[in-house]
Amino acid sequence: MTNLEVIFPEIFLTLSIFVVLMVGVFLKNTYSLVNKICVLIIICTGFLVFYSNETLEKIFLDSFIRDKFSNFIKILILISSLFVLFASQNFIKDMKISKFEYPILVLLSILGMFFMVSSNDLILFYLGLELQSLALYILASIDRNNIKSTESGMKYFVLSALSSGLLLYGCSLLYGFTGSTNFDVIQMELNSDNIGALFSIVFILVGLAFKVSAVPFHMWTPDVYEGSPTSVTNFFAVVPKIAGIAVIIRFMDIPFKNILSEWQLIVIFLSIASMILGAVAAIGQQNIKRLLAYSSIGHIGYVLAGIATGQQNGYASSLVYLVIYVVMNIGAFSCLYLLKFNGSYTEKINDLAGISKSKPILAFSFLIIFFSLAGIPPLGGFFAKFYVFISVIKSELYTLAVVGLVTTVISAFYYLKVIKIIYFDEEQTKLDQIKNLQTSSIIFISCLLLISYFIYPSVLNNIIEPIFMN
Amino acid sequence: MYTHAFFFYFFSFIAIFSALMVITSRSTINSVFFLILDFISVGCLFIMVGAEFLGMILLIVYVGAVAVLFLFVVMMLNVAEQKQSWFMGKKSTHIPIGLLFSVLIFLELLVVVGGWKYKENLMTSSTLNMDKKISNTHEIGSVMYTDYVLYFQISGIILLLSMIGAIILTYRKRENIKRQSYFNQISRERSSAVEIKEVSFDKGVKIDD
Repeated sequence: MTNLEVIFPEIFLTLSIFVVLMVGVFLKNTYSLVNKICVLIIICTGFLVFYSNETLEKIFLDSFIRDKFSNFIKILILISSLFVLFASQNFIKDMKISKFEYPILVLLSILGMFFMVSSNDLILFYLGLELQSLALYILASIDRNNIKSTESGMKYFVLSALSSGLLLYGCSLLYGFTGSTNFDVIQMELNSDNIGALFSIVFILVGLAFKVSAVPFHMWTPDVYEGSPTSVTNFFAVVPKIAGIAVIIRFMDIPFKNILSEWQLIVIFLSIASMILGAVAAIGQQNIKRLLAYSSIGHIGYVLAGIATGQQNGYASSLVYLVIYVVMNIGAFSCLYLLKFNGSYTEKINDLAGISKSKPILAFSFLIIFFSLAGIPPLGGFFAKFYVFISVIKSELYTLAVVGLVTTVISAFYYLKVIKIIYFDEEQTKLDQIKNLQTSSIIFISCLLLISYFIYPSVLNNIIEPIFMN
Repeated sequence: MYTHAFFFYFFSFIAIFSALMVITSRSTINSVFFLILDFISVGCLFIMVGAEFLGMILLIVYVGAVAVLFLFVVMMLNVAEQKQSWFMGKKSTHIPIGLLFSVLIFLELLVVVGGWKYKENLMTSSTLNMDKKISNTHEIGSVMYTDYVLYFQISGIILLLSMIGAIILTYRKRENIKRQSYFNQISRERSSAVEIKEVSFDKGVKIDD
């Protein structure tokens, strides 16, 4: 009981979920109230994590780990989900999916991610993963009267269950060959002679690649992103990616540390394939959510490129990339909340034509965010790519660097195409005027962060690099 | 000794046979019944090796709940009537692809089994440090609520979440139906429900409108 404070944020989150669930059940029409309480809970949990000790500590038979890395990722998860909830509030009410369970499901999936990033044991890792994905299946199909939303939830559920099966198969093989589910013991037992155990790595990587939607396990991403309500897509594109990447880094850093040469090739392949597909497949898209889905696949490719180095500074550059990716995607999806045509939200890229005249500020935000996604200096996205490429070149993975640069140029095409449609095409549809202070402020914040990043570009590095110094 | 061997082979044969029948039988309902038979015989095997808790759990959870649920689903959804046209037809591509993947996975299994190396200090089941005096269930309970309490609690949260999910996705509020009000039912008293009329002789009953 003495070191129970290590798991205190999780306990607080769990208990407050139960309380807020009761509030929702016993009071009528409580979406706004529950949403406010949930925002409050997220802020409180953030403070608990922020002010907890940063020393490395393991509890529950070394299965739960708390260190600088897990604390950083948890705070990132909390801040990004706070932004997503805040920006999407009016959209949720408009779409009539304002059930009080919505924010509670978000909290439950955050809880699952907390256990994922703090896991030092295969069982805890799997339980956390299932907790977060189960909440995500329900969120995907929360607009249950809409056939597309239901379909996307079903599709995500079936494919994700399949990948969980593969992941579990890998875990059981790993347990069989190393005799333990604990990451530290696995690290000691694994070496390159153990062929059977190498198979387990393949299966585990397949499962993890599915969760972060890396090619060739990306098939679900465009359909699920398109089908789910935009607020849910926003959450999907941001928060589970953070947890998934964090878990991949944890796996590479602890259990698979001694067999770098074995998994490096697999991660390089995943990275190259994701970058290429993210650049090429997005070109012909007409739906902006599908376009952003392919763009997120491409971005995950760059994050994986940093991980593929297997070096501490590579992981650090991946995390920097991830943080900037999160800022860009929150901004990009928040812009979609402001696109309304004849009272319903539009997702067609062609409907954006010429909005620079009627909505100059929104058009300018699109400009900044899409330039940043394309990686054009001096915006934040450029520095993210810059740090990843530096660490890739330092560890002499030149193919990866070359492919990354080429795909950056290719993907710039479709980002710039959207900008061209916004600024130079004739206005075809008259979009409705929307006043939405919450969403606008989130877009403003993310644009401000992206623009001002060049003033002090090493700020993220100064925070992230000490995490990996141990 | 011979009796033991007899029962072991008896149950194993039934287990393998029914597992084969699950995937080969044409009617889906038969498949589910063979699945139940499979669970029961595996449960018997568990009991024979002394894992009585696992055997009973298999019977209660899998046969009692999961398989019966399957049966419900199969009967409700009318899938029993589906003929196997999709994999008996001439242009079927399922069988070659399926075969290819099974061969691949089989080869992988061969590699895994071929690469199997026991550790030097491998603990065999006979050297397991177990207290023979306490039962299986007791033993599992004593670690489940101490060492593995975190996993146990998270599993509980997952179950709660699946309950919430089922309610969100299926519950529809219907208007204009009469609902049972437990509180009103219980708090009714005799005086508010029954009125006693004094009926006098020879005058009949007069009802006021």
